[in-house]
Amino acid sequence: MKHIVITGTRKGIGRSLAEHYLAEGWGVIGCSRGESSIEHDQYRHYVLDVCDESAVIEMARDVKRQNGAVDALLNNAGIASMNHCLLTPGSTVNAILQTNVVGTFLFCREFAKLMRKSAQPRIVNFTTVAHPLNLEGEAVYAASKAAVESLTRIMARELAELRITVNAVGPTPVMTDLIKGVSSEKMDALLARQAIPRYGKAADVINAVDFFLRADSDFITGQVLYLGGVT
Amino acid sequence: MPTFKEVEVLVIESVRLLAEDFDLVTLKQPRAESALYGKDGVLDSMGLVNLLADVEDAVSEQFGAAIALADEKAMSARNSPFLTIKTLAQAVLERIEA
Repeated sequence: MKHIVITGTRKGIGRSLAEHYLAEGWGVIGCSRGESSIEHDQYRHYVLDVCDESAVIEMARDVKRQNGAVDALLNNAGIASMNHCLLTPGSTVNAILQTNVVGTFLFCREFAKLMRKSAQPRIVNFTTVAHPLNLEGEAVYAASKAAVESLTRIMARELAELRITVNAVGPTPVMTDLIKGVSSEKMDALLARQAIPRYGKAADVINAVDFFLRADSDFITGQVLYLGGVT
Repeated sequence: MPTFKEVEVLVIESVRLLAEDFDLVTLKQPRAESALYGKDGVLDSMGLVNLLADVEDAVSEQFGAAIALADEKAMSARNSPFLTIKTLAQAVLERIEA
């Protein structure tokens, strides 16, 4: 059985990804800051903050003990804060960078070590269309995801020797908690900037992730795939 | 808590297995003074990455300790802890004890 690690599985896209890969027969190892919301024989959950370095190391050691190797990692966990830059506290900036950038980095570092014996090792990071669209009100969130894209491109080179591909998917807004505080006018204006102006669905994200995980995608690395026709 | 000798044996065994996997002739019969990384070392950066990951795994399995060897202390040390088997074993022991 192949094993996939997915961060942020308690709700939203992370939960949909976990349920999808469970249905596909993978062993899924999830984590979030809260208790698990998934009950399944092949699912194991860790309660941790993705930017807590020692907790991530402990999780990786435990996964190694229980599963031996890991085949894929989806760095889905992320937080956002929509606000004008002049109204954004430093503590918010730190929190976003810690979760989105440091968390992604720590999981890549620790779980890449467990992928060395996998036949098709894959890492998929999560970015956002807010970065290429330079969305007002999302300066810190977009900047954090720009950093994730840079990590993706450079790690793709550094981990190529271990046959690990590292790519990123950039969803458009999907109806999740991440955008619940944003007005409908703002969301409509954002959707109008996409080539295909509709909300994304979890299935759209799953499709893009599936593409990166396919065995035939072993020559595709360092790529960022935006959904909705954003370039 | 393991002794220094026990940790050194663990590192030597990890180096030996790595040398077999990557056909590193000079490390196939490793000793405490064998150079690993740096001026006289035979490991390139990817070889070092593989060795550190193997040692971290072995430490977890044998001693039940979750350590990360490429930490701030290692990166800022005046003398790299990855120079020889002996210095690496010392670094491992320090992190188990921390």
